[in-house]
Amino acid sequence: MSEYTRKPWIRVGRIDEIPEDQALRLDTTPPVSVFRSDGEFFCVDDTCTHEDFSLADGWVEDGAVECPLHLAKFCLRTGAALATPACRPLATHEVRVDGADVYVRIERGGDDRVDGHCPGAIGSNAGRRDAEGAGHGMA
Amino acid sequence: MFDVTELVQPDQGLINPSIYTDPEVYQGELERVFARSWLFLAHDTQLAKPGSFVQTYMAEDPVLVVRQRDGSVKAFLNQCRHRGMRICRADEGVARAFTCTYHGWGYNLAGELVNVPMQDRAYHDEIDKSKWGPTQVPRLHNHKGFIFGTWDESAPAFEDYLGDMIWYFDALADRYDEGLTLVPGATKWVIDCNWKFAAEQFASDMYHVPSSHASALVALIEDPAVLAEFQEQSAAAPGRQYAGNGHGSGFGLRPDLVPTQAGPDFDAWVVANREQIYRRIGEHRALAVNGHNTVFPNFSWLTINNTMRVWHPRGPGQIEVWSWTYLPKDADERAKQAVRTSTIRTFSAAGVFETDDGENWTEIQQVLRGHQARKTTFNARMGLGHERHGTDGMPGRVTDDMYTEMAARGMYRRWADLMSGLSWPEITERDKSRQQREQEAHLA
Repeated sequence: MSEYTRKPWIRVGRIDEIPEDQALRLDTTPPVSVFRSDGEFFCVDDTCTHEDFSLADGWVEDGAVECPLHLAKFCLRTGAALATPACRPLATHEVRVDGADVYVRIERGGDDRVDGHCPGAIGSNAGRRDAEGAGHGMA
Repeated sequence: MFDVTELVQPDQGLINPSIYTDPEVYQGELERVFARSWLFLAHDTQLAKPGSFVQTYMAEDPVLVVRQRDGSVKAFLNQCRHRGMRICRADEGVARAFTCTYHGWGYNLAGELVNVPMQDRAYHDEIDKSKWGPTQVPRLHNHKGFIFGTWDESAPAFEDYLGDMIWYFDALADRYDEGLTLVPGATKWVIDCNWKFAAEQFASDMYHVPSSHASALVALIEDPAVLAEFQEQSAAAPGRQYAGNGHGSGFGLRPDLVPTQAGPDFDAWVVANREQIYRRIGEHRALAVNGHNTVFPNFSWLTINNTMRVWHPRGPGQIEVWSWTYLPKDADERAKQAVRTSTIRTFSAAGVFETDDGENWTEIQQVLRGHQARKTTFNARMGLGHERHGTDGMPGRVTDDMYTEMAARGMYRRWADLMSGLSWPEITERDKSRQQREQEAHLA
């Protein structure tokens, strides 16, 4: 029995449920998604930091995901915002592949976002998201 | 307001040409004809994978036709509910979502509003997004790869709307085991004429061919002896025309599937697959149903010329033609190339036959600028009283000669019924009793 079958690990699904350049969303709060790009698996928060949209429905290419709504783009490895209108990063989470199964560990120990001075972020929902974050009991 | 009985008398074959020019009639058509009929939207092969979409039109209304993740198809008005901007400005592509370029409202593939920028700050989180999605096309039907839609919840089921026309349509739609594919992209052009000239000709008019296409025919057939043989054949087998529910199909009867207009490379494929075609649609139908067709109101094709099109209306005096070349999906490259080349040469924006047709229609439209011209009744009486039923075992009303205007009168019958504001059940009832009377008259 592997260590991944126990908490804090969550089983996402089988490898073949996540084809190349696709993602599988987990209905955690907030939701996270596991992406597969160039054969590698990545786990990041699922909701675009610019406007509400599920990045599992985004375009995956070369280790990045692009939100189809306004073309914000994020690095899947670091969560960094690579293209405006997003300017705050996505939280990243640990992924392990054990045999044919994919597991993730979600730890929200603190505010892991870069403090958001976001020039020209008139269209962002930064204020609301911070309020929500507080509601989820982040330290 | 117009009085339909003064505009057309379909049973007499009389047409008041103001139906081709009157802006009020045109607005009536948008509301009573196009918004109540089944319209062709897209072919399956245009929507290859989840997220594949095309933007087309239902008359003047832009609609997005989108392949869903589960393989089904949805269609909705390409109009943002905020200020009416086009939600998607591309003609076709693959999408994961659609975002209005004006203020950024975002929609998913099903056409549901999923994101409103600054929902908290600007709308105080008081907008119910589920109520502000674009207008959905409520009814879609996929007939053997051809996707149709209608706005009208009360319109007959697609099969009933087509009626016997299905048998003629399937001479194309059901012809090959592997089905059809389209040469990518629609060829689009504008003709300054009323949509009914085009739709009617493809429903009902083989009669124009020797005259309108004289120069094209000379270019194709130089040898008088070949032409003589052609004419003898035509006289010996005078062809047929079907009319029903406003639709029409007309064709000459051919002794063999080949030669086709596409030439030897395609003919070789047809000969190699002859048995397949006969098995699917029967030898009789395969040889006969090869000509011009219109599904009311504005979807037309020429079965063996490998061209189909929608005549999108653009005001009383203009149409946008969207035309596609179709191919047997599994034909070899040489055969496909032969079809592409011949269709471009004959039926395309600069095709030798196509330009003849457009020339006639724009000329008529020009003449109808005249006050006297618009008051002058048109004659659509060819073959009046010579309608038949079940000729050669073909379904529906079928004449024993392709030179007739039965299908034109049928088209204006359906047009008049819709324009009069009759309900669909009333129209169906009237059609039934008309047909009954006609059959009794023929038996008498």
